[in-house]
Amino acid sequence: MCVLDRDADGRRKIANELPSLAGTLAADVSNVKEVQAAFAEAVRLMGGVDVLVNNAGISIRHNFLDITPEEWDKVIAVNLTGVFYVAQTAARHMMERGDGVILQTASTNGVMGYPFYADYNATKAGVIELSKSMALELAPKVRVCAVAPGYVLTPMQRAEYTDEMLAEVNRKIPLRRHAQPEEIAALFAFLASDDAKNITGHVYTCDGGETAGGLASR
Amino acid sequence: MQLPGKVAVITGGASGIGRATALLFAREGASIILADLKPDAGNRVIEEIVQCGGRAIFETVDVTRAADCHRVVEAAIRQFGRIDILFNNAGIIRRATVLDLTEEDWDRVMAVNVKAIYLLSREVIPHMQKAGGGTIINTASGWGLTGGAKAAVYCASKGAVVLLTKAMAIDHGAQNVRVNCICPGDTDTAMLREEAQQLGEDSGHFLAESAKRPLGRLGTPEEIAQAALYLATDASSFVTGTALVVDGGGLAGS
Repeated sequence: MCVLDRDADGRRKIANELPSLAGTLAADVSNVKEVQAAFAEAVRLMGGVDVLVNNAGISIRHNFLDITPEEWDKVIAVNLTGVFYVAQTAARHMMERGDGVILQTASTNGVMGYPFYADYNATKAGVIELSKSMALELAPKVRVCAVAPGYVLTPMQRAEYTDEMLAEVNRKIPLRRHAQPEEIAALFAFLASDDAKNITGHVYTCDGGETAGGLASR
Repeated sequence: MQLPGKVAVITGGASGIGRATALLFAREGASIILADLKPDAGNRVIEEIVQCGGRAIFETVDVTRAADCHRVVEAAIRQFGRIDILFNNAGIIRRATVLDLTEEDWDRVMAVNVKAIYLLSREVIPHMQKAGGGTIINTASGWGLTGGAKAAVYCASKGAVVLLTKAMAIDHGAQNVRVNCICPGDTDTAMLREEAQQLGEDSGHFLAESAKRPLGRLGTPEEIAQAALYLATDASSFVTGTALVVDGGGLAGS
């Protein structure tokens, strides 16, 4: 396994935590040259890539009326263009090898509307349709799925939400809590494995029931 | 083993997806209560499980009868003391338009595919709540998400399963009872062959047509069982109210 991130501190930290990593790769996913160079390095280190978890993403909480062109471009660059660059680079490699699995992080925000994240939501809906279309073109060699997490208690979420906001959200989720990041990882593990070898072209939700009826149903 | 000490009730367990799931869950350490209308086929599955060192009992059950649903849950509690997993899998199909469908067939398909989930879930959920949670898995279908030709009541019933799943997920999430459904595409089972027969089509041609999807083949019952295993284990501990499509990409688009 290789981990790709543009954050040098994060790369050092996970390399220490996981001594079995084949390597860490530095790249900004919105820069196609960096992506291609990093992927080539991954292939060199591991002899090939079977599974891509195309997960890098950012979000900015802001009113739709206040989104600046620069903010819009930045969110699209990482969440949609970046996903495309990494996916296409990996898919070319996997099609040549004859198999592979590409898993891409979407969001429940790509399935339903939510206020204050219009740009983010648009990119996540884009990731879902990108995944479905890729699945059709790359089948039967390469499987492609999107994963739609709901509220996850990540450092990003902790930083953006107060305790009161977290409690308010938890009340609206049938399972009454946020997901742990590990619970999203478990869904990636299932979809990446041969247990899911007839699964391609869809979005798989892990959201504690949040989108079963929408927040409005509560 | 992924289900050590767990107890699973599986309906429609004598054949197809139910049988494959019973064998897989038993291999993963679960005790199985197999419910089906067909005792001969059902007991053969039990023998297979027991021969491999698993624990399983069979109950002859018509899932459309409230008394039968009560009885199988009582038997499960008596035998194993708890129910962690309910797989509402029994289902039937009638390949007909509304013009060709009899009223008896309409009622039968809705009773087996939809009402049975209500009848069995209301018996099982109180036991799950007492035990601190549980997981209910319903077999829906790709035809619960989109329409298909000459399958009016089947599509209606499976659409109902998808939204019944979501509604139950909302009602029982706070007690940690998770409710999800699987939407298989065409899977290599006796039911798929029966469809060809109902439509008066050559079975080989029908199966070849059914395999026309991105992955270029039918699904196997074992592949649907793996999806059920994911929804049965703690690997899916934050997943509820979802419809897990397992269809070789059939619904991804054209």
